[in-house]
Amino acid sequence: MKVFITGSTGFVGRHVVAEAIARGHEVVAMVRPASSPKALAAAEQTGRLSYCRGDLASRAGLAEGIAGCDVVLHLAAVKGGDFFSRFAGTVLGTENLLLATREAGVKNLVAVSTFSVYDYGARKAGTEFDETFPVISDPRGRDEYAETKLYQDELYEAFGAEDGNAMIMIRPGMIYGRDQLWHPLLGGEFGPINLRIGAKARPPITYVENTADALALAAEAIVDPARRSQVDGQVVNIVDDELPTQAEYAKRVQALEETPSSIFVPRPLMRAAASAVDAVNKQFFDGRAKVPSIGMPDQIDARFKPFVYRNDKAKRLLGWTPRHDLTAALQRSVSGVDLVSDVVQRST
Amino acid sequence: MTSSGLPALRSAVIGAGAISLQHLDFLRSSSRSRLVGICDLSPVSSGIAARRFDAEDSFTDVATMLEQARPDVVHVLTPPNTHGFLATMCLERGVHVICEKPMSPTSSEAAELLAVAAKHGVHLVENHNYRFNDEILELQKVVAAGTIGDVHEVDIRMALPIRDEGSRFADENLPNPIHDMPAGVIHDFITHFAYLMNTLSGEATYERVAAVWSNHGGGDLFRFDDLDALLVGHNATGPFHGRLRFSCSTKPDLFSVVVRGSGGQAATDLFHPFLEVVGPRPGGEQLTPIVNHIVNGTKLARSGFKNFGQKLLQHGPYHGLAKFLDDTYAAFQNGQAPPVSPAQILAAAQLVDQLLEAEASR
Repeated sequence: MKVFITGSTGFVGRHVVAEAIARGHEVVAMVRPASSPKALAAAEQTGRLSYCRGDLASRAGLAEGIAGCDVVLHLAAVKGGDFFSRFAGTVLGTENLLLATREAGVKNLVAVSTFSVYDYGARKAGTEFDETFPVISDPRGRDEYAETKLYQDELYEAFGAEDGNAMIMIRPGMIYGRDQLWHPLLGGEFGPINLRIGAKARPPITYVENTADALALAAEAIVDPARRSQVDGQVVNIVDDELPTQAEYAKRVQALEETPSSIFVPRPLMRAAASAVDAVNKQFFDGRAKVPSIGMPDQIDARFKPFVYRNDKAKRLLGWTPRHDLTAALQRSVSGVDLVSDVVQRST
Repeated sequence: MTSSGLPALRSAVIGAGAISLQHLDFLRSSSRSRLVGICDLSPVSSGIAARRFDAEDSFTDVATMLEQARPDVVHVLTPPNTHGFLATMCLERGVHVICEKPMSPTSSEAAELLAVAAKHGVHLVENHNYRFNDEILELQKVVAAGTIGDVHEVDIRMALPIRDEGSRFADENLPNPIHDMPAGVIHDFITHFAYLMNTLSGEATYERVAAVWSNHGGGDLFRFDDLDALLVGHNATGPFHGRLRFSCSTKPDLFSVVVRGSGGQAATDLFHPFLEVVGPRPGGEQLTPIVNHIVNGTKLARSGFKNFGQKLLQHGPYHGLAKFLDDTYAAFQNGQAPPVSPAQILAAAQLVDQLLEAEASR
C-alpha cells in the first residue's frame, strides 16, 4: 500500500508515518515548503518515505503528489487562531486536498475528525458514548474548532458519497503523548488562572501511538478489496481501553513532570457559573459578549461531562487494540527514546 | 424597505476571507442592505459564508453573480492585486463599489478606477474605516471646537508584530499577496496612515517628504518592515509637520494618533482607545498642567473599564467600519456624495506615492 499523509510532521502525523512504514507500506508525506521534516529522519532511512512539498492552502503540486497512492490519510488541521485562520487551514485545506485527490484519481480516504463535533448536551451524564452519539446539527454559534471541524466533516461525507469513492472517518478522543501530557480535559486557562475542572470523569483519552496504529489500520482496511465495503462510510471513535479518572491521570502525570499550578473547581459549579454568564450574555448583550471557551456551557459539557466511552467498533471493524497501556504510554512519553525510530525499527 | 422608507440596496461581496467578516456582519444586520450574493473562488468558502450570514445565494464566478444576483453595491474584499479588474467589472455594469484598502498600488491606478466610476455614473469608495472610529470623530470635534488651537503637527505611529511566528505575514510557506505591493506588508496599513494624516492635518499639502523604509529583519520575504517618515508642508493655518512611523520591533502594539496645535494637543490610541486632551483649563497658567493631569488621569482610568467592556462585546479597533458602511449606504440610498470622496481616495494614494518616491530618491 502507498499512502499519502497530510500533517505528517505533526504531533500525530509523525507516528502515523512511522507506523505505516513499520507495517511495510510506502508513504508520501506532505510537508510544507519551508518546513524541515527532521522528525521523520528515521523513517526516511528506510527508503520507503518520500515527500510532497506543498501547502494545503494551494493546490499547486498536490495532485501530482497524490497520484499513484492507494489512499489519502488526512490529518492536517489548524487548532489555533481566530475563525478564519482555522477555516482557511482546516476547511479550505481539506477542500483543496479533496479536489486534488479527485484529480489524481485516488478513491480512498481516511478522514480524521474529532470528538468536538459531538453534541454533549444531548444526553445525560453517565450514559454510554459511542459512534451513535448525536452530532451537533448546526455548526453556527459553536466554538471555532468545532464549527470548522463540522464543515470539514461535511466535505469528507460529500467525497465519500461520490461514485466509486470510499471514506472512513476516524474520531480520536483527546490524544496525549510526549510534550502533551497535560491536556484540556483536565481544565484550562481562565484569564491568568489555571483551573482544574472536575476529578471523577473518565475522559476519552488515547495515547498518540495507539491512535497512529488505528489510523494505519483504517488505511489498510479501506484499501483492502475484501473489507472496503464494510468500512466505507463508517465513523469510528478511538479511545484507549484504560481510561483513568481526571484525578488519577493528573496524579500520574504530576509524578513524572512539572504541571501548571491550578485551582480546583467542581464541574457542576463551573457549569452553573457558565450557564449564568450565558444567560446574562443572551439576555442583555444579544449573545455578543466574547466569553473564554472554558466559560461556555457547551465547552464545559464537551470537555468535562462524564460519559462511559466505548471503543468496541474500532476493535471490531479495524482489528485495533491499544498497543500501549497508560503506564507504558506515560513512560514512552517522558523517555528520551526517538519514538519514530523505535517504531520503524520494528519492520527492519 | 428600510426604516428610512427607502428600498434596501441589493448587496454582494467578492472575497469571503478574514476581512469579509466585518462587512458581512454589517450587511446581515443593516436594514439598508439585502445580501443577495457572496462570491469566492472556493465554492466551500462562498457557500459556508452564505450560510453563516444568511446570503440569498453563493457564487464562484463574478460575472455570473453580477448577472444573476443583480447587486446595486458590491464589496470587493479580495487581495489587493485583484481589486483593479474586479472593481472595473462591477463599475462597468453600473454597480457601486466599496473596495478594501489599498484600492490600488499607485495613485495613477486609483485615478483610472475613479475615472471608470465617474464614466458609468456610479460611486467607487475605498474603505477608510478608522476615520469613522469613535475616538477619531471625538478628536476631530476637539480640533473643530478650537480646544487645541490651529493644527500644526500630526504624529501617527503603529507598532505590530508582523514578523513574529504565527503572523499571517511571516509565513514563508505561503507568502501573503500583500508582499507584492510596492510597500510590501506596510502597504496593508499605509492607506490608514495616509487618510488619517490628510484628514487630521486639515488636508495639508506636503512640499518636503523624507521617508526611510527599512527591512530590519532581513530576508527575502519582507520588502520592508519599518517606516520612518517626516512630512513638511502647509495647511490652511500655516506650516505643518507630520510624522509617520511603523515598527514591528517595539511594544506595546499600538496605533497612536497625536494632533498638536497652537493651543494644546489631543492624543488617542486606536487599539486601546482613550482620548487625552491637553489644553487651556480653568485655573490659569499655573494650575492648567495640574488640571490637565487630573482630568486626563480620570479619563484614562475610565477608559480602562470601558475598554474591558468593549473587548467583551467585541467592539474592536475595526468598529468604525460599521459607521463607514452605514454612512456610505445612506449616501447611496439618498443619491448623495459618499462620506469618502474620490478626492480623498486620490489624496491618500498620492501621499503613499510620495512616501515611496522619497525612498527611491534617497
